[in-house]
Amino acid sequence: MENEEILENNELTLDELQAKEMKEKTKFQKILDHVTCFLPIIVGFIAILEYKLVPNVPEFYNPKPNTYITFLLILMGIFFSLYVVSLFLKRKSFFNTVLHKAPLTAAVFAFLILYDCLTLKSNYLLYPFFPWFNDILNAMIGDAAFLLECSLNTLKLLFYGYFSGVLVGLITGIICGYSKKAEYWVDPLIKILGPIPTATWIPLIMVIASTLFKGCVFIVALGVWFAVTTATMTGIKSIDKAYFEAAQNMGCDSKQLIFKIAIPAAVPNIFQGMTQGMSSACVALMVAEMIGVESGLGWYIVWAKAWANYSKMYASIIIICIIFTVVTQTLAFIRRRVLRWQEGLVR
Amino acid sequence: MAAIELKLDHVSKSFAKKESKSVINVLQDINASFHENEFISIVGTSGCGKSTLLRLVAGFINPTEGKIIMNGEEVTKTEPNRGMVFQKPTLFPWLTVGQNIAFSLKAQGIYKENAERVDEMLELIGLADFKDEFPARLSGGMAQRVALARTIINQPDVLLLDEPLSALDAFTRMNMQDEVLAIWKLRKQLVLMVTHDVDEAIYMGTKVVVMDKNPGRISKIIPIELDYPRDRTSKQFVDYRIEILNTLHFGNK
Repeated sequence: MENEEILENNELTLDELQAKEMKEKTKFQKILDHVTCFLPIIVGFIAILEYKLVPNVPEFYNPKPNTYITFLLILMGIFFSLYVVSLFLKRKSFFNTVLHKAPLTAAVFAFLILYDCLTLKSNYLLYPFFPWFNDILNAMIGDAAFLLECSLNTLKLLFYGYFSGVLVGLITGIICGYSKKAEYWVDPLIKILGPIPTATWIPLIMVIASTLFKGCVFIVALGVWFAVTTATMTGIKSIDKAYFEAAQNMGCDSKQLIFKIAIPAAVPNIFQGMTQGMSSACVALMVAEMIGVESGLGWYIVWAKAWANYSKMYASIIIICIIFTVVTQTLAFIRRRVLRWQEGLVR
Repeated sequence: MAAIELKLDHVSKSFAKKESKSVINVLQDINASFHENEFISIVGTSGCGKSTLLRLVAGFINPTEGKIIMNGEEVTKTEPNRGMVFQKPTLFPWLTVGQNIAFSLKAQGIYKENAERVDEMLELIGLADFKDEFPARLSGGMAQRVALARTIINQPDVLLLDEPLSALDAFTRMNMQDEVLAIWKLRKQLVLMVTHDVDEAIYMGTKVVVMDKNPGRISKIIPIELDYPRDRTSKQFVDYRIEILNTLHFGNK
């Protein structure tokens, strides 16, 4: 009976095992690792020197020149403190992560040097279409209050649209996955409406909807609804019938079959639909804000461009990038947590 | 153990074949009666309807003709009292081992007053340390043990085993045969086990039901009069083996 309980009786942790199996690094390699970790700091200092020492294009007016330097110092400070922390941690994996990210971080600083040379120092990329980084940062700080308000508006729209889409999508998806009759009526709708990008409806919705806000929520929700419905439907239809039989045999009634078997089994598909829905929601939201709604970061971009204030435009783009990255990463994080049971099952 | 009677009364089952628009008789006129303290092994070549017989008793399907009567009541639907273990473990991968075993108690709304049974089951199958693991981390034998525990936690009067050991390697399989027997001896309920393996059928069963096909029917019921634990190499064991193989038309005669 005990012949197969081999799974984990050894006391080694994964870290220790990896350390054991890896070849011992030579002294030279160890030094090289630390030099690599210092690379971003070195390139960062070069960026500051370049910004300070190389003369600007004479006609350019560059007020508050130290914002960019502060920004660079903060980035370098963050990286350096991570490096210091990793030296004191017992777990080697954190140091390895820092080491792994070091060249990439250095490349970011190198890119900033290059960009500064091409804009402020040479005007090779023409002003005002390509403002130098210090200018963008100053625009961001100068208009911080308004940008925050716009960001909150965007987030509110995204939140309402996304979650109402997910909720309705789950309901229709589960019903259609379960009932052939419901699928008969809803499936053609999905087949016809599905391929049309949701942004197509914006002009119409903006006229019909009672408020622009509601219209925009609807546009965002539509794409999410479509993605979640299709994914949930596929998920429920592809469940192994054996699960239902086993559950029935253990005393489940038909309501329990839905909530205890069908839905949990479809969760991987549901998350796939939610991820896909998120990207479609981001696109729809930006288009809607640019065309109709008079608030939010998308609208801010159009507005800043109309005033030929390209620095503000870039500021808004950067914030959009940050917001959408955070939102997507959060969703991915939740997905990993919820689908922990899949470890070892897929991949 | 209270008295259990499972009666198959002129049971026939036919399935419609969609492609050829014909009907096949999977089982024809099955009559038998089984009681508590019996371990019935059912053997037969594929297509003889032995799995169908088990599914009828479980209540997944209903007979075309005849009746299945359990303790005086006709079987019409599935019930935890006739628990089934399948060839594949079919553990719910999104639930931990402990949650899988507790599943049926929760489904029936009797978990709170019986929560300690889950730990008893885990002890019984020797997987107490794996309570909080997900099924993806279990080996085939471990998963099948959990599937067994998940079913017997309901203390079914009839335990239906549909080739539960056939997906396991030979050594795990022999260990599991002893474990299943040990579980059966705890409560002396009625066990019906479908198997492809004649050895397994003799080793475990108090009776071996040999089935034949076209149409599916019982061709012989052979009581195995050997004491447990049985010796697979003994003369009587081999004699039973020859008798069953002959009935299955695989013998020399």
